[in-house]
Amino acid sequence: MPTPVSPFNYEAAVQACARGERFALQALYEREARWLLGVALRIVRDRERAEDVLHDGFLQVWQHASTYQPNLGSARGWIYTIVRHRALKEIRDPGRMQAMDPRDLTTLSDLQQAAEAEDRGLDIDRLERCLQRLDAARRACLVNAFVEGYTHEQIAARLSAPPGTVKSWIRRSLVSLKECMT
Amino acid sequence: MINLQDGSDRAATAGEFVLGTLSAEDHATFVRALAQDPALRAEVHAWQDRLLGLSVNAAPVTPSLELWRRIDSSVATARTAREDRAARVPWWHRVRLWQGVSGLAMAACLVLAVRLAASPGEPALVPALVPAPVSASVGGARYLAVLQSPDSLTAGWVVEVQASGRLRLVPIAPIGVIPAGRSMQFWTKAPGAAAPTSLGLVRVGRSLELTVTHLPGVTPQQLFELTLEPENGSPVGRPTGPILYVGRTVAL
Repeated sequence: MPTPVSPFNYEAAVQACARGERFALQALYEREARWLLGVALRIVRDRERAEDVLHDGFLQVWQHASTYQPNLGSARGWIYTIVRHRALKEIRDPGRMQAMDPRDLTTLSDLQQAAEAEDRGLDIDRLERCLQRLDAARRACLVNAFVEGYTHEQIAARLSAPPGTVKSWIRRSLVSLKECMT
Repeated sequence: MINLQDGSDRAATAGEFVLGTLSAEDHATFVRALAQDPALRAEVHAWQDRLLGLSVNAAPVTPSLELWRRIDSSVATARTAREDRAARVPWWHRVRLWQGVSGLAMAACLVLAVRLAASPGEPALVPALVPAPVSASVGGARYLAVLQSPDSLTAGWVVEVQASGRLRLVPIAPIGVIPAGRSMQFWTKAPGAAAPTSLGLVRVGRSLELTVTHLPGVTPQQLFELTLEPENGSPVGRPTGPILYVGRTVAL
């Protein structure tokens, strides 16, 4: 399968934000908002809070655009980390934990398939290949942590495994993922 | 406790940082380490890109129409990391500070400079800061605004509003070239006004003079800005492009 090439220049857009060009932030928003909202919603599980996360995330992108260093990595990866970390902060702030509405679970899992069809210029082949080399339980740890925003303890509860084991699985999986993808 | 000395521990910890599985305490320790460790920052960026593909597991959700408006209005008033750095540069490099803290003194200096340069029969003490044709009229100015680039913090234009309602926009520094097919548009917005009003297109290096009688009037702290727009100006009657120069009036 040919590697899809994204024509949108994320790095240039973030650098334009650093110069104070607001249309560049809008271009990033128009391109990524619905995907990022999907990522945030999956973690915070509440539509309104997910929009708050995206608001704060985009504001952070704007405010810290001048600190982004294109030689270190992609601007899209940088933006996703900002939004994911903002979402994680939202659910992990003491006193803000919220039980999930059981209906949300079905909605979320119904939607899940749609995401994979669209070509967004993401190179997922190599990641997929390297993930397949991990055993299923360890792979699930990584995916659950990334997608659902679960902690070691939450994953451990789901897998009925000790948190220490989950932690070392995740760390070893990351090390072998890095070896495989480098 | 996190270990950032050993190579594979470093990689795993950076991966966990991106993933979001570090404890709050380890996360905070890691963030502090990042500030001093460029190689660790590179490791984090590499992880961001390695794990980015996992985001395909979250289905897209269309944001409400309101969300962009909220972001855009927050951005308009937000202070950026660059401005925070700028705030640490020596005060004499910062026109913004002159405008904010001692805008009046700045304006007074400009007027004085202009008057000295313009005084008939006396040698100009200050080399022409403002082009000569303009200087003769500054004596009657009621408001002055120094427009500076939000990026370089250098002053590029002066706006002068006279008691008679005449308004002049005068270039005070070379500002380079506007991209082909684009124009610079001049706008003003009084404090509390809902939207900026266009004052027309501006040519690089050329003064613009107009009468402001059709405006609700000029007040202290009134915003003037030059934005980059399509060749024939903004098609929607409000700024659409980046701000090239911006400043607020001070009363004289």
